[in-house]
Amino acid sequence: MIIPKLALRNILGAGLRTWLNVVVLSFAFVAIIWTQGLYEGMNAQAERASVAAALGGGQYWQEHYDPLDVLSLGEAHAAVPDSLQSLIADGKATAILAVQGTLYPKGRIQSVLIKGIDPDQKVLSLPSHFLKAEGDRIPALIGSRMAKSTGLEVGDTVILRWRDAHGAFDARDIEIVQVMKTVVQTIDQGQVWIPLSILRVLAGMEGEASLVVVAAGTLERPEEPGWIFRDLDFLLSDIRQLVQTKTAGATILYTVLILLAMLAIFDTQVLSIFRRKKEMGTLMALGFTRGRVIRLFTLEGALHGVLAAILAALYGIPLLTWYARQGWAMPEAMDSYGFAIGEKLFPIYSVGLVAGTTILVLVITTIVSFLPTRRIAKLKPTDALRGRLS
Amino acid sequence: MIRFLFKGLIRDRSRSLFPVLTVVIGVILTVFLYNWINGAEFNFIDSSARFSTGHVKIMSRAYAQEADQVPNDLALVGVESLLDELRNEHPAMIWTPRIRFGGLLDVPDAQGETRAQGPVMGLAVDLISATSAERGILKLEEALVRGRRPQNPGEALISENFAHRLDVRPGETATLISATMPGGMAVANFTIVGTIRFGVEAMDRGAMIADIADIRAALDMEDAAGEILGFFTDFIYRDPLASGLAARFNAVYRDEPDEFAPIMDTLSSQSGMGDILAMMKMFSGLVLAIFVGVMSIVLWNAGLMGSLRRYGEIGVRLAMGETKTHIYGSLILEALMIGALGSVIGTAVGLAASYYLQAHGLDIGFMMKNASLLISNVFRAKVSPASYVVGFIPGLAATFLGSAISGLGIYRRKTSQLLKELEA
Amino acid sequence: MKKHARTYGLALLISALAEAQYPSGDWILQKIDENIGSDNKISHSLMIIQGRRGSRTVESRSWIQGDEKSFTEYLAPPREAETKMLKLGDQLWTYSPSTDRTILISGHMLRQSVMGSDLSYEDLMEDRKLKQMYDARVVGEEDYDGRACWVLELTARADNVAYHSRKIWVDKERFVSLKEDRFAKGGKLLKRTEVKDVQRMDGRWIPKKILFKDMLKTGVGTEFILNDVQFNADIPDYIFTKASLRR
Repeated sequence: MIIPKLALRNILGAGLRTWLNVVVLSFAFVAIIWTQGLYEGMNAQAERASVAAALGGGQYWQEHYDPLDVLSLGEAHAAVPDSLQSLIADGKATAILAVQGTLYPKGRIQSVLIKGIDPDQKVLSLPSHFLKAEGDRIPALIGSRMAKSTGLEVGDTVILRWRDAHGAFDARDIEIVQVMKTVVQTIDQGQVWIPLSILRVLAGMEGEASLVVVAAGTLERPEEPGWIFRDLDFLLSDIRQLVQTKTAGATILYTVLILLAMLAIFDTQVLSIFRRKKEMGTLMALGFTRGRVIRLFTLEGALHGVLAAILAALYGIPLLTWYARQGWAMPEAMDSYGFAIGEKLFPIYSVGLVAGTTILVLVITTIVSFLPTRRIAKLKPTDALRGRLS
Repeated sequence: MIRFLFKGLIRDRSRSLFPVLTVVIGVILTVFLYNWINGAEFNFIDSSARFSTGHVKIMSRAYAQEADQVPNDLALVGVESLLDELRNEHPAMIWTPRIRFGGLLDVPDAQGETRAQGPVMGLAVDLISATSAERGILKLEEALVRGRRPQNPGEALISENFAHRLDVRPGETATLISATMPGGMAVANFTIVGTIRFGVEAMDRGAMIADIADIRAALDMEDAAGEILGFFTDFIYRDPLASGLAARFNAVYRDEPDEFAPIMDTLSSQSGMGDILAMMKMFSGLVLAIFVGVMSIVLWNAGLMGSLRRYGEIGVRLAMGETKTHIYGSLILEALMIGALGSVIGTAVGLAASYYLQAHGLDIGFMMKNASLLISNVFRAKVSPASYVVGFIPGLAATFLGSAISGLGIYRRKTSQLLKELEA
Repeated sequence: MKKHARTYGLALLISALAEAQYPSGDWILQKIDENIGSDNKISHSLMIIQGRRGSRTVESRSWIQGDEKSFTEYLAPPREAETKMLKLGDQLWTYSPSTDRTILISGHMLRQSVMGSDLSYEDLMEDRKLKQMYDARVVGEEDYDGRACWVLELTARADNVAYHSRKIWVDKERFVSLKEDRFAKGGKLLKRTEVKDVQRMDGRWIPKKILFKDMLKTGVGTEFILNDVQFNADIPDYIFTKASLRR
C-alpha cells in the first residue's frame, strides 16, 4: 500500500515537471486517436457518400434489373408492389425507374441511362428537389462529370430520346435545371435524372419502378416476388475491397504514432530515473527491497500514463466529439476539383480504437518506465547513494 | 567554447546521448511519416495511372471530348511519328500507345455459330513486342487467375468472371465484334490464353486485354491510337511537372484548328482523380500538421526537461563567476548542437528508410485475399525536397525553443537556490 | 338564324367536296405498293456514309423475298467484301469470312448503326408494310422537288410501332414516296428520308437515290444509290439459309 501512495506523492510533488510530461503525453494520446479517426473517416467517406446519395439502407431490385448490364434494362421494370408502396408513402422508401436512352448534346450521340426519381423524396441526399416541374418543360438533373463529358450547363436544353414500354420511339427536349457535384460516380456517369412521374408517363410505365431504395434505418424488409433485396454489404462490396488496402497503410500510421507516444515519455522517464539514483540508494538504505524500488519507479511511470489518459479524456472527449459532429469542411479552394459543396470529412472513432490505444499507451508507458529501473536497482545501495554507477 | 561544450556533451551521457537519441528518434519518425503519407497518395493513384489515366494522356481533341464513349473513329493518327517526337523531346518519360474499344465477345460452338455472347470493354496495349514498356506498367502476372499472359499474336485475356459466364476456358477461341475506325463492322478471332481479376465489378463483368497490333488490324487503326500514355520513369506522379509538360505540349497545338490535333491531359485533370487527390492532400496535410505539432511539443519538452535538470550545475557555474547571459548562451548553443546533430542523423536515417521504401515498396499482398489488377498491393513512400527539411522543425526548432524557454528560469532564481538544487 | 344556317351548310358542303377530292390514305398506300412491291427482288446498291473524317462507300448485292427474308453480300470496300447478312423473320445473322464466324445480331445490337450510317439494323430490318402498321390520311397537297404530291399523315395502329407517326409526300402521278418524315410519340422529328432521283425501270418508278438522315444529330446523312434491280426474279430457296452464308 505504501508504494502506490509514495509513487503518487512523488510525482505530484515534482509539480510542474510532472504536469508538463503528463500534458505532453496526453497530447500524444489525443493525436493518435484523432489521426486514426480521420483515417477511418476518410475510408468511410466513400461508403458514407454512396449510402447517403445512392444506396440508402438497401435496395429492392426488380428481378431483371442489373445496373451493370445495359441489355437487360428493357425488361427491368414492374409495378411497385403494395408493401413497398406503403413504405414509399411513409417516406421510408423511394422508387426509381431506369430506362435506356440516347442524349443528343450539341448534335452528338451519347448513350445514357434515364432515371426517374420523385422530386420530393427525402430518402437519398441526391438533390432531387431541383426537379420540381414547372410548366411544360421537362427538368433534368445531371452530375458534374456528366456535364463535363457532354458539355452541358445549367439552362441548356437538349434532346433526349428513348423507347417506351412497347418499343415506340419518343424524344423530348429536356432542360438541365441543375448540375450536381457529387463524389458518388454511380449517380453521375452517363445518367440523366428526371421526375419519376414524367418518366412513367413518357415511357408508358405507369406505377412502375426498376428499383426501390429503402431509407437508412428502416427495418421493414417485406418479401416480394419478382423483387430482390440487395443489402449494403452487396451494394458496397467494391468500395469495401478498396478500403481493405487502405487499412494496411493505416497499420503503419498507427505504429508510427505509438512510437511518438513512446518517445514522449522515453525522455522524461529515462532521464529522470537516471537522475534519481541517489534517491533509489536512499530508499534501499532505508530498507526497501530492490523489487519494491523497481515497482515504485515503474508505478510512477505508469501513473504518468494514467494521469495523461485522464487529462486526455478531460479535454479530448469534448474536442473530438465536437469535431466528429462538425466534420472537417473542405476549403473553398478545393472546389475547383469538383468537390461537392458542403462535403465534409467526418472522423470516425470506434470504441475499440480508443480503448485499444489507451491500453497500448499505458502498457508502453509502464514498460518504458520499467526497463531502466531494473538496471539501476542492481546497484549497491552505497554506490547509488553517492550517485555513482557501479 | 564550442569545443568545450562538445567535450562536455560527449563525456556526460545524460547530457548528450539521451537528448540526442530523443531528437534522432523524433526526427526519424517525422521524416518517415512525412514520406510515407506522401507515398500513400501515390499508392491510391498508382493503379489508376497504370490502367487508365497514365501520368499524362494524349488524345485527339475530338476524342477527348467524348472519351467516355470510346469514339475510335476520332482517334489519333500518325501515332508512330508522334511517339518518336515524344521520345526525343521527353526521353525521361515512358510513352506507350493504347486503344480502348467496346463491343461484343461472341463464343462459337462447333459449327461456328454463336454459343454465348456478352458485351465487352477492351484495352489494347503493346503486350508482345520486345521493346514494349507495358510489361513494367501493367502488372498482369500478379492478377492472373488461370492460364498465362499473351505472348503471341492473336492471344488475349478476359476477366475471370466473364470467362465463367461465357463458359470459356483458356485455349478456346472467342470472336470480338466491334466497329472499325472508319465505321464498318470489325470481326476478329482471339485465342483466350488466360483470365485475370480486375478488382472492380464493372470490369470483372466483361473486359478483355489484347495486343495492340491485333486490335489495330481488327479495327483498321494502323498507325492510330485512342490514347498515348506517358509515365515518369520511376512511376511517381509529380503534378507540377506533369502540368508544366501538358501546358507546353498543348501550347504547340493551340493555334491549330484541326479537331483531331492532339491534346494532353494530366492525371489530376482526368475525371474523378482530382477529387481523390484533393481529399488525400487535405488528409495528409492535417495528419502531418498534427504529428509535427505534437512531435515538436515532445521535443520541446525534452529540451525543457534537460535544462530544468541542470539548475544545480548552473548554480555552480554562476558561483564560479560565469554571467547569467553567458550560461544562457551556452545552454542555447548546446541545445542547438544537440538539435542539429539529432536532426541530421535522424533525417539521414529517415530518408534512407524512405528511399528504400520508395524504390522497393512494402508488399502487403500477404494481408490481401486476392491480388487484382486495379488495386495495388504495394505501398511506397515518396521522398520530396521538403522531407529533407521537415525533420528540422521538431528536431532543431523545438529543441532550441525548449531550452531557450527553460533557460530563462536562470534569470529568475538566485544563485543560492540553484546551488541547492544541485544537492537534490 | 336562317342566314347562319345557310352559311354553315354551305361551308360544310364545300369542305365535304374538298375532302371528297382527296383520295383515301389506304388507297394511296395501295398504289405505292403496286408500284414498288414485288415478291422477289435482286438489287445492287451503294451506301455512302459520311463520317467525321471522310466518307465511305459500301457496295452490296441483295436478294429479297417478300418481307421476311433477305440475303445481302457486301462487295466493297475490301475489308467488308464477302461479309454476308441474312435476315430471317426477326433474326439477323452475319457471316464474316475472315473469322469464319456466323454471328447472331440481336437485342441491343440491333439498335446500333449499320456500318456507321444513320440507319440502325432495326431500321434496315423493317419489314411490315406501312399499310399494316399505320392508319393513313391525306391531309393536303404540296410540291416536292418539282413534283406534285399528296401529303399523308400516318398514325400508328398499335402501341409497339417504333415510329408513332409519319408524314409522307407521295408523287401524285407515279405513286412513289418522295419524302418521309418519321416522328416520335411526342411529335419530334427523328428521321427523314428524301428521294433524289426517280427512274422508270421494268414498268415501275424506282427511287434511285435516297438520302436517309437522323435528324437529331449533326451530319449530312447516309445516301443510298440503287444501281440495278430485278423484280420478280427467280431466287432459289437455299439462298435464305444459314448454310449459304458460308459458301
